[in-house]
Amino acid sequence: MTDWLGMLAAPRNPRPDLRGRMLARALAPRRRWGGPLAAAALITLAVGGGGGAWWAYRTIDALTAERAALAARVQALEDTVATFIHGPATRLIQIPVSTGGRVGSVTIFADSARHRWLVRCDGLAPNARDQAYQLWFITGRGMSTAAVMPMDEDRPMVMALEMPPGGVLGAAMSIEPRAGSASPSGPMVFHRLL
Amino acid sequence: MTSPKRLSQEHQRSLELRLKAGDEHALGELFDLVAPWILGSVLHILHDEDEAEEVVSDVFVQVWRHIHQHDAGRGPLVPWILSIARNRSLDALRRRRRWWRKSARLEQAHAVDVGAIPPAAPHEAAVPGWPVHREVHAALAALSEEQRRVVLLSYFEGLSHGEIAQRLHQPLGTVKTRLRSAHQRLTESLRHLKDWVE
Repeated sequence: MTDWLGMLAAPRNPRPDLRGRMLARALAPRRRWGGPLAAAALITLAVGGGGGAWWAYRTIDALTAERAALAARVQALEDTVATFIHGPATRLIQIPVSTGGRVGSVTIFADSARHRWLVRCDGLAPNARDQAYQLWFITGRGMSTAAVMPMDEDRPMVMALEMPPGGVLGAAMSIEPRAGSASPSGPMVFHRLL
Repeated sequence: MTSPKRLSQEHQRSLELRLKAGDEHALGELFDLVAPWILGSVLHILHDEDEAEEVVSDVFVQVWRHIHQHDAGRGPLVPWILSIARNRSLDALRRRRRWWRKSARLEQAHAVDVGAIPPAAPHEAAVPGWPVHREVHAALAALSEEQRRVVLLSYFEGLSHGEIAQRLHQPLGTVKTRLRSAHQRLTESLRHLKDWVE
């Protein structure tokens, strides 16, 4: 009831044009941005949200697969390294090499029981763009390819190799065309009988 | 301006229904009926005719756009419009205070004794709502001087309890007590205000 207090003041007739101005303002079509804006926001949310959800789903899926593959690879490498290092039939062969004017080394863990090699290359000079290092098994029937190792960066390289049947007499490394060769044709990095 | 002589509860309900139905003529009719009182009230708060007319225009636009928010069960239409007008006026006053920051003009405006709101001149008795005006004046006059001052400072200047206490150099508790008892008395004396008759 105290809202009636507004009636305390003396009445005052408004200027004649106020009524018209007020009516023009009140009855003017209002810019209704709310509807279109809300619709646009909804569409953006739906498209963005849907796209985002799909992207997240695909990314998580891909990352999960990659993680599983990496975990399997790490586990295999751990197993391989442990086998080589702790295996009673493992021989360690370290071969100093000189490539591109720098000194490096190739270390071979040869597991004669499981017929596998673990090879680590350190300090090899990066290859020219059309060349690669190629590792060879020296066998009783000549040389057979063990691995082609294109090296574009100056960093160590580790690989596990299955020994060919019939035994291995030694190892060699040469510089070959990037696709590899059937038999050594380029400069020899090392040639070593075990 | 067309000036109907009567604004009964029934008329207010009818106006409200027409406004809710989007009847543009109802808005004009409502303006004709209550604009003088709204403008008088707003002007008493703002002391600036141009600004007061802007506020009055805002008030009616708000009434038109938000008439659906008025709950007829909680009271008639006119007090609702008066409360909108008061809130809008106080908002404008606060905006102005922020701009003026204790300027001499504001002080001059406040120098007017708010306790002395004279009743409208007899020639204004033709304005619809005159009996309500008289009754509200009578209800206020029935209050003690102290109660009247705190009510007017609260209503027309929107001062908080603390600000009123500071203005009147009175303890805060005293101001609160006076306001509470004044509102109780006003509610009692204005309870019968339902119809607005010429």
